[in-house]
Amino acid sequence: MTDVLALGFMQKALVACVVVCTVAPLVGAFVVQRHQSLTGDGMGHVAFAGVGLAFLIGAAPLLGALVFTVIAAFVLFRLQRSGLAGDLSLALIFYGGIALGYLFAARSGSGVNTVLGFLFGSPLNLTWESVAAVVGLALVVLVIVLVLYGPLVSIAFDEEAARVSGVPTNALVLTLTLVVALTVVGGMYAIGLLLVSAMMIVPVAAAAQVAASYRQTMAIAAAIGGGSAVVGLLLAYYGDATPGSSIVLTAIVCYVIASVVGTLRRRARRQTPRLAER
Amino acid sequence: MSEAPALEFDQVTFGYGRTPVLREVSLRIYPGEFYAVVGANGAGKTTLMKLGIGLLHATYGTIRLFGEPVEKFHDWHKVGYVPQRAAARPTLPVSVDEVIRTGLAGHLGLFRRPKAHHRRRIEHVVDVMGLADTRSAPINRLSGGQQQRALIARALVTEPRLLVLDEPTTGVDAAARHVLRESLEHLVRVERVAVAYISHDPEGFSGLAHHVVEVTAGHLVDAPVEGHHHPTPTKTRP
Repeated sequence: MTDVLALGFMQKALVACVVVCTVAPLVGAFVVQRHQSLTGDGMGHVAFAGVGLAFLIGAAPLLGALVFTVIAAFVLFRLQRSGLAGDLSLALIFYGGIALGYLFAARSGSGVNTVLGFLFGSPLNLTWESVAAVVGLALVVLVIVLVLYGPLVSIAFDEEAARVSGVPTNALVLTLTLVVALTVVGGMYAIGLLLVSAMMIVPVAAAAQVAASYRQTMAIAAAIGGGSAVVGLLLAYYGDATPGSSIVLTAIVCYVIASVVGTLRRRARRQTPRLAER
Repeated sequence: MSEAPALEFDQVTFGYGRTPVLREVSLRIYPGEFYAVVGANGAGKTTLMKLGIGLLHATYGTIRLFGEPVEKFHDWHKVGYVPQRAAARPTLPVSVDEVIRTGLAGHLGLFRRPKAHHRRRIEHVVDVMGLADTRSAPINRLSGGQQQRALIARALVTEPRLLVLDEPTTGVDAAARHVLRESLEHLVRVERVAVAYISHDPEGFSGLAHHVVEVTAGHLVDAPVEGHHHPTPTKTRP
């Protein structure tokens, strides 16, 4: 085990994946509570268009993805606020994004492996510069989530009541959408544009099976995310598997285990007297 | 000096698209007054109150909160809103304590943290609503009555002067209804909070309401006030 950790490429992969997979569920908790679980997935599709354009014009893929997802966050926010963010309009934006990305990438002459690396992650090929970019983006996301925790919980739980109590809901919803965009871009190198949204959702779904509060859900989800990154990377190394998919599948196994534990606990609770109604 | 109504509608008309829901509606709810709104499903009761608290915007007419047009109103800590319970059903586990704390989010603003007096207020509403034993439990694991009391506690945490409740007794058992009635009676009579109470079930406000109006065909029609035993609150009508 220590041999593996001594390898430079594994060190970089571990740092990037653990950071991304720990922070992503913290954002996912708000997204899931607001019934917008597929927003991250859609952002990944749009980010791919930015990556493709960056290939075409010779710019940095991270910058291309960042510009496209930030624009998508504003468009999505406007659509949501005008009541037009139905399945169809979102599908048009998101699938348009991935189609455009593939078109740009093909025109630029990028190889299939390069494209797949962005879609499904290639953490074993990271440089310390890209690790620093990933950690930087994750830190920005973490700071926003921690500073705005209270107001974000209020809009996640009940946006109308939050608005009536004077919470600037429009600014917060836009901020949350931008945070999702940053998380997707941050996860691009580590586990890929198409898999990073899984790490926003699956650990949260697992934690919700066993937690008793929102704060607990977030803490357990972050632990499951970070733990899945370590276990998934080691499985990928020893089992010669793809790292992104190993990490996501590990998180799904955690969900199955948490579901079983949650079901057993609920059954046990049913057999004990309910909380007294006063 | 005359006291401004907590909530005032002046010739308000509203429709969804071209479908009119409310036509030239006027009402005034004064501090210490319990105002019940009844009507059939889809009559426009919830729409009426959503207009009153700025969640919807009137097509014509003026709505004022404490004398200020609702569009310019900033003292939102004076308004407590208890939505229908189904609107606040969490997907993830959210404890009762966390639900109550979300009521402070607007009052605290984006960057301030709760101070000692906020925490004391939380303790007070937890106590008043009888939630001490359940405050660390996830809200969706509680009975309908306990969930409703948690939502009311959230609305009360900023010491509102106007409390808007939308169908608060739906799915709530008799014991919890009793607690709710006692709490509302205390708020109206002792703390002089103005209460706007939307319900299809007169039992929830019988004996408490000073005014009962029915929303019918887009208009407000006075309905008989049954079993009201309290004196009309002190106020100066213009």
